[in-house]
Amino acid sequence: MAEKVKLFVNGQDVEVESGKNLIDAIGAVGIEIPHLCYHPALGADGNCRMCLVGIEDGRPPLVPACKTMAVEGMKVQLDTDKIKKIQRDIMELELINHPIDCPICDQAGECKLQDYYMEYDGQKSRMTVPPVAKAKHMDFGAGVVHDQERCVLCARCVRFTRLITKTGELGIVNRTDSARVTTFPGRPLANRYALNVVDLCPVGAMTSKDFRFKQRAWFLAKSESLCHGCSKGCNIYIDHNKEKYKDDIIYRFRPRLNQQVNGYFICDEGRMTYKLENDNRLNVAQVAGKETSVNEAVENVRRVFSQAKKIVMLISPNCSLEQMQAVKKLATANNAVVSGYSDGYIKTGDGDLFLIQDDKSANRAAFGLLGLDSSKAGFESALVEADLVISFQNDLCRSLDDADIAKIQDKAKIVYIGSYKDGLGEIAAITLPVAAYSEDTGIIINADNILQQYDVAVRKNDPAIDLLQIVTLLGGEFKNREEVLTDLSATIAALNNIDLKHIPSEGIALTDKEVSNVAA
Amino acid sequence: MSDRSQLIETGVPFTFDAQRDAEFERLVKRYPTRESMILPALWLAQEQEGWISAEAIGYIADRIGTFASQVFEVATFYTMYNLHPMGKFHICVCRTLSCYLLGKQEIVDYLKRELGIKPGEVSKDGQFSLEEVECLGHCGTAPVVQVNGEFYENMNVDKLKELLATLK
Repeated sequence: MAEKVKLFVNGQDVEVESGKNLIDAIGAVGIEIPHLCYHPALGADGNCRMCLVGIEDGRPPLVPACKTMAVEGMKVQLDTDKIKKIQRDIMELELINHPIDCPICDQAGECKLQDYYMEYDGQKSRMTVPPVAKAKHMDFGAGVVHDQERCVLCARCVRFTRLITKTGELGIVNRTDSARVTTFPGRPLANRYALNVVDLCPVGAMTSKDFRFKQRAWFLAKSESLCHGCSKGCNIYIDHNKEKYKDDIIYRFRPRLNQQVNGYFICDEGRMTYKLENDNRLNVAQVAGKETSVNEAVENVRRVFSQAKKIVMLISPNCSLEQMQAVKKLATANNAVVSGYSDGYIKTGDGDLFLIQDDKSANRAAFGLLGLDSSKAGFESALVEADLVISFQNDLCRSLDDADIAKIQDKAKIVYIGSYKDGLGEIAAITLPVAAYSEDTGIIINADNILQQYDVAVRKNDPAIDLLQIVTLLGGEFKNREEVLTDLSATIAALNNIDLKHIPSEGIALTDKEVSNVAA
Repeated sequence: MSDRSQLIETGVPFTFDAQRDAEFERLVKRYPTRESMILPALWLAQEQEGWISAEAIGYIADRIGTFASQVFEVATFYTMYNLHPMGKFHICVCRTLSCYLLGKQEIVDYLKRELGIKPGEVSKDGQFSLEEVECLGHCGTAPVVQVNGEFYENMNVDKLKELLATLK
């Protein structure tokens, strides 16, 4: 816990963390200082001047809060007439050349200019000359569309490309009222984190080509979740909306702050995996290529399950910890072998040093924790004599080519229980759709051994059955998720001291030290 | 100031000639960081070609090892860098506060009429180019006009007429 210091804000006693600037320190206790250019990940730039505050200790009349550290006994003034006038003047300055096209702007509803105008400005425009015309809907590359006229020149996007991705595609060219953000000809935005500039932009200057004009921000429900695009487990918001007479649809993923995992950002590939949740879904059950009801498919799975002599249960590294444990127990009870073989989920060399990992599955670390084998040799030896392969979300077609899979099909029946239209789903004897992670709740452990929980975000009109229920229907010993959690805590040494039913939002680091320390 | 961000691409790769190359290597040793070479390198390119093309900016960025966007920023910030071929007589009119208040607009309007070009353009015969620039540092004798680097102070339309007559 960081040290606390006492401040007097507007004459009121406030206790804040030391070592932070005034925006963050005072913001943490719920008092907002307006700012456009400052962002905790990009540092203080001091160019917007919206955060000017007064400090009663003989300093210059006003100082930028983003560049002023909170110090014991500091007397901070936020609402003197002078400060209010400056805030109003700066808002007027920002709006001189702003097109005020909120009705057609994607940012409307989550725009700092709108918020601050209502809060700190509220005056009519005094402009009588035509505004400076600049370029609109410029394609910056990487799915980012820029509107120079809406820009307030806070330089967050420029600093992001220079400080975070170190690719430096963006710059502010010209000066005075001609200044604008642009790319150098022939060198467009080309980095794997580019869409973060859309989130960083406090106004509607940066919009996402993918999201623009799809939904108004105020219609979107913002649910917390975890990205399953790779083994980093980045924290995200799933922004979704169920329009009248329609189904609950995801419109975008946005990064959610977790200093322990992903900080303020996510990668573009992960951000776009929302499309899989909407479109690439397995919606109907099939038996021998014919559509059937889910109940009938479940009955079929139960029948082949009870008749099989030797079963291989193939579990996906994307399954949650609970699902893995339930499948593991089901296998043990039925003399089946569990394999986590999923080499096809790993794209060697694709990862980087920032967020993107080689392993494109979310929960491979749990294999180690539960002692599940994921080697190719283990899978192949399990296949000998096997007459039934049940895949739980594991798309074997990613790891093996068609010929190898045909060889398996010669001897064994393949059952696919999954959420997505995967290769295996198309060739399996029985396919059974189950809820995807956006409709389910579960625990995953990321590549850095941080255990996190995701919750139900999307509620479909016709909700798919969840995988744990299927396992129960096949004769699994757990009746619900709580029972699995209790069992996990009891049987897995590393989880003994962790309350799996109350996982903090920032997750739990499963290092030896942490495990022994977390008593409650 | 007009928009200077529309760079001209020549389609021909740019490199420093032997003399500028040597000068670049001599100057780069003077600075603690290579980014400091942006201004002098842009001068070298302008000295060599008379103006700075998109290719030249890209070349300088790669030569220094910095982002092209950063060199682009610097080149467009300073109006003394010519980003397109200039006329034989390059006329700059200061548009910052003192000159603004003391009538720079009349001067600009007169020049636009007389030369048939807008700020940022070159006349068809290649004789004149016009640019509105930021403060030239002669506020005490505003408004000021600069022709090929030469200052003409306390300007008005009548004095400008005389000046133009001498530029042939």
